[in-house]
Amino acid sequence: MIEILRLSGPMTIWVTVFSAVYALQGFTCSRHWPEDLWARPVLLAAWGVGLALQVIALMAVRRAPSRSALVQKVAMGIAVVALVAGIWTLMPVATTSVCL
Amino acid sequence: MTGATQRGTALRLHRGLSRIWASDPRLRGWLTTSNNNDVGILFLIVATTFFVIGGILAMLIRAQLATPQSAFMEPQVYNQIFTMHGTVMMFLFAIPFFEAMSMLMLPGMLGTRDLAFPRLGAYGLWVYIFGGSAVIIAMLMGLAPDGGWFMYPPLSSAAFSPGIGADVWLLGITSIEVSAIATAIEVIVTVLRYRAAGMSLSRMPIFAWYILIVSVMILTAFPPMILGSLMLEVERAFDWPFFQVENGGDPLLWQHLFWLFGHPEVYIIFLPAAGMIATILPVMARTTLLGYGWVVAAAVSLAVLSFGLWVHHMFTTGIPHMGLAFFSAASTLVAVPTAVMIFSWIGTLWKGRPRMDLPMLWIMGFFATFVIGGLTGVMLAVVPFNWQVHDTHFVVAHLHYVLIGGYVFPMVAAIYYFMPLLTGRTRFFKLGEVAFWLVVPAFHVTFLAVHVAGLLGQRRRTSTYDPGQGWEVLNLVASVASFVMAIGFALIILDVAVNAFVAVRGRRNPWGAATLEWAAANPSPAYGFASIPIVSGRYPLHDDPDLAVRIARGEGYLGDASRNRRETLIVTTAQGEPSLVVVLPGNSVVPFLLAVVTSTSFLAPLFGAYLLSGLALIGVVILALIWAWGLGSRTDEGLVDAGHGAMLPLASETPDPPGWWGSLFLLLADSVHFGSLLFGYAFLWTVAPNWPPQSYLQPDFWGVSLAVGGAAALVAGPRLAVGAIRRGRAAWPGIPLGLVGACAIAAAAATIPLARAEPAGHAYDATLWLLAGHVGLHAGLTAIMLIYFAARVARGYASPARIGEARIAGLWADFTAATGLVALGAAWLPGAFA
Repeated sequence: MIEILRLSGPMTIWVTVFSAVYALQGFTCSRHWPEDLWARPVLLAAWGVGLALQVIALMAVRRAPSRSALVQKVAMGIAVVALVAGIWTLMPVATTSVCL
Repeated sequence: MTGATQRGTALRLHRGLSRIWASDPRLRGWLTTSNNNDVGILFLIVATTFFVIGGILAMLIRAQLATPQSAFMEPQVYNQIFTMHGTVMMFLFAIPFFEAMSMLMLPGMLGTRDLAFPRLGAYGLWVYIFGGSAVIIAMLMGLAPDGGWFMYPPLSSAAFSPGIGADVWLLGITSIEVSAIATAIEVIVTVLRYRAAGMSLSRMPIFAWYILIVSVMILTAFPPMILGSLMLEVERAFDWPFFQVENGGDPLLWQHLFWLFGHPEVYIIFLPAAGMIATILPVMARTTLLGYGWVVAAAVSLAVLSFGLWVHHMFTTGIPHMGLAFFSAASTLVAVPTAVMIFSWIGTLWKGRPRMDLPMLWIMGFFATFVIGGLTGVMLAVVPFNWQVHDTHFVVAHLHYVLIGGYVFPMVAAIYYFMPLLTGRTRFFKLGEVAFWLVVPAFHVTFLAVHVAGLLGQRRRTSTYDPGQGWEVLNLVASVASFVMAIGFALIILDVAVNAFVAVRGRRNPWGAATLEWAAANPSPAYGFASIPIVSGRYPLHDDPDLAVRIARGEGYLGDASRNRRETLIVTTAQGEPSLVVVLPGNSVVPFLLAVVTSTSFLAPLFGAYLLSGLALIGVVILALIWAWGLGSRTDEGLVDAGHGAMLPLASETPDPPGWWGSLFLLLADSVHFGSLLFGYAFLWTVAPNWPPQSYLQPDFWGVSLAVGGAAALVAGPRLAVGAIRRGRAAWPGIPLGLVGACAIAAAAATIPLARAEPAGHAYDATLWLLAGHVGLHAGLTAIMLIYFAARVARGYASPARIGEARIAGLWADFTAATGLVALGAAWLPGAFA
């Protein structure tokens, strides 16, 4: 089971962070969020936390290697993909308008 | 041993195992069988039948669109036809077809004798047949849904889609999703635990990786759709306004729930086909797969990335730019792992010596088609382009390039590749080659024309068009070519049927493949392998060319029929070391009967027969208990001889038997369902118009106390019972405590409908009722399990070794406690802060 978690964990973190940031963006544009109140900084902070989690996942996969060389290689590859996906897919929090 | 003695040993073993694993004779055999060969073949035949129906509907669509202002069909009929075409192909053909192939091939590939839960597979088959048949019968009666295969409200609401057409879709398709989830659980547990000795994760055949990933995707993608269907059906039946703007609902919620399922669904369909390509292509190229590890990493990445794309189907709904950009970026990113797979396959061809047999021809058809579909997918990921072609025939053409090129062509390749294994015959009649040269060119003519028509502005889902817009020739060409394609597909079915019945007997492993399924006799006997193979690499038949013979002689594990029961091996997940012996259940009519009552419970509401539906649900519970009661043992057997000097415990005498693993993955699906419900609640609260409601539910002391106390008792009770049984003491103090907990948390949930008596008044109230319903349902299930377990304890079915059933009940109790607290907390939270 540990091996399955090793393989599935990093991308699961990505999809969780991705969904959470999207939800947060929706929330900052909703009636519940005071207008012009730090929406972008909050989103940037969430993105940063998400990336930090993915770096931690990458380091964890690296520091506690699997007994199987193949599983280790695949897990490292997936962790890198997850980190790149986190950077690429959430980059709009820094580059586009928030609620327009 | 002499050769004659060895043959005699193999023959005796074959006879003994055949007797043990045989299905019942005649018609009864089809209703009671749970063998993967029988269930898989039935699945395959039924799925192919639905493919033919879907194809006929496609021809009707193309006949209608061949000329402008066509009077071939009324718009109302056309709406039903295109809705049913999409529905049949996506739900009744694509998913069941790869499930069928998995059922047939997976045990052989993994070196096991059957799937983990054979009766669950049979149950899934019958639910699928009943649900699918109901949808088709409704269509023949002119009662088919007509709102498109995605059933967007408000079009699909009771106001704009009166009658039972939409209900047929919602209830029929949901029952089929139940079938898919059953099969997914079966496949996951099989891949993780039921393998040949020595088959570590890194030695698994590549298809097993793909189908494992896809099965997890089914468990996580289907629940949002099931929830959405439940909400829409309840809205239609009882006017709970989840999607009605005027009462606090929002139709966009449906789109989110649908596409949370719908986009991963595309990859759920594509990835098994990719698994087939990765299996077949190296054999056809007479080499091994290039970059096995990279392909596994790409498949996992693609699977998870596909859950971050759903909003790209909603680019025109007015979502802010930042949201659009998130999903546009994610949509472009999926091209990368897809390309890794494509380049792996091209590299495999490059390093091998390809031969252009018929399966390979179809894989070439895949390359030529799917890459184009992938590239138009990247075009659609770009928001401005998407806006231009949204709801045009360009999208229709794109999705057909992906689904036919990426799924149907590889599956045809798989059918031809595995035909010697399924039938034991060598293909003689060569209609398949003719069919290939009809289908693939005709497909490209059809859908290139449809692409262009879309770029010229032709809208999809419109029954006709006016002349003079430049679409006439394109549509006529597309229609003529589509009929040629249909003739090609008919030839394939004819070719397969004729060769399956009348072609000459063939030799074992005609392609020279290296995976274990080719080590079994062709066609595979009911028991699969005479003994469980021992493997030391990823390509066992290349590592040991005599492996098939040694398996037949019983020289693997469990090569002995003397215990007179259906045994197979369970291995450790990572390393594939022999771990347990599992005894699989025999033939039974219970899965069939359970499917009858399950389908009745789903379909009876179509006719307003809610009482019958309720009675059927009671029948579901009773039959499920009868099913479970027939399993297990009243005595500890201890270690059993598995061969090769290995003395292994029985799976029923371990803390985590296969049923525990199955429950774990079912609860994963349940968690996603619950998470989707919370998402829906949060979505409405955040963005739906006409919020807040007039008042929020206020938490009260008794409700909160019951919830917290009930959850604590639910967690503690089963643990006490398990601990007591382990120490050889009576389980009684724990079981009643758990029951009290279930009743308490159900009572806490009941305070919600008591306080908010009008779920039809506002989407907030309707959502509260759903949250309460979730808690009540799970508390009820847990209570039933605890009562059942108490009866099992009383009849001697539990012991310090046989603790698995108690742990399964504990798992459900924990889940009920955790989600109950979250659900009730979510219900009370807005009121607490308001």
